[in-house]
Amino acid sequence: MRAVVVGLGAVGARAARQLLSSGPIEDLVLVDVDLARAAAAVESFGDPARLDDDLPGDLAAGDVVVLTLPEGHRALAERAIDRGADVVSTIDDCAEVKALLALDGAARARGRHVVVGAAFSPGMTCVLAMHAAAGFEQVDEIHVARVGTGGPACARQRHRALSGRAVDWRDGGWLERPGGSGRELCWFPDPVRALDCYRAAMPEAMLLVEAFPGVRRVTARVSATRRDRVTAHLPMLRPPHPEGQLGAVRVEVRGRRGVARAERVLGAVDRPAVAAGAVAALAARWAAEGRLARPGAAGLGVLAEPTGFLAGLAERGVKAAVFEGATEEGIAG
Amino acid sequence: MKALKRAVLALGIGGLVAAALRLRGSGGVPPQGGGWRELSGPDLR
Repeated sequence: MRAVVVGLGAVGARAARQLLSSGPIEDLVLVDVDLARAAAAVESFGDPARLDDDLPGDLAAGDVVVLTLPEGHRALAERAIDRGADVVSTIDDCAEVKALLALDGAARARGRHVVVGAAFSPGMTCVLAMHAAAGFEQVDEIHVARVGTGGPACARQRHRALSGRAVDWRDGGWLERPGGSGRELCWFPDPVRALDCYRAAMPEAMLLVEAFPGVRRVTARVSATRRDRVTAHLPMLRPPHPEGQLGAVRVEVRGRRGVARAERVLGAVDRPAVAAGAVAALAARWAAEGRLARPGAAGLGVLAEPTGFLAGLAERGVKAAVFEGATEEGIAG
Repeated sequence: MKALKRAVLALGIGGLVAAALRLRGSGGVPPQGGGWRELSGPDLR
């Protein structure tokens, strides 16, 4: 397998390390606008990692291109599939996700994969939703919540998301609501536990609706304090941290199992950048090995077989959990 | 006097905004039992 990792921030560096440590790899090209950072990463990783600052040329060098930049994924993904490479994108911006999903036809025509939103959230959340839905005859509702951020780019995106427009799926249509509204107390796996979560511009619904035909409601929320909600409408007052603390995701699936109503709640706790790097690297490996469900552009909920993917993540130390016993009153939507 | 009125008005508006932020949303009910279990073995086969 030959891979190109574009962007060596908190997530990109983790994805590159995961690619090197989790199976055979012939060539790993690292690209970053900060050449000193890229050179340091190459020195740290050793052979077969190498540095190249010729971006169009680099995209041709890989079977898989992993994009972890904060923006500009669409143009790079287009160029990569034109050159015969699969693409894995960790983007979590709604507009970027929409633009990448629009590459579905082009990717299918070329027999290439564009894995959209292959990170902790979205990404692992989509796989958890698919796994949680196993055994359901019909899935009616999916509610995703997340806490924490990876690197500085992720923190900036969360800041924008809280002041943006949340995009929910409701009864067959898209419903926009203001970010920072709709407070719900969400219970994450230990040690994160209970946190207030709010609507935000998160792309989960865009990625999950295709995977669940007939689903009535898909929502996504992010944890925030009241100060976060007020300051979300202002420029960031302080520079974001180099890397966030422990984060978590939680996915609640409701539907029908037999004649009974049922719900299942799955979650995971990890450093978001570490988990996102593992998800991106595993998605890249699956793409290169032809293990994804179909060519085209879609989220991991559509492209990855969930049980095997979660097993692969568990081998890399990113472990999912299930809530057992009486469940709390769920997210109201 | 004018400054005092403005200060009182600002405090009042601030209080209303804080109350709105405090009260919006429906909150939640903590789990009454059960807990989180790591997925492993048979769950991932």
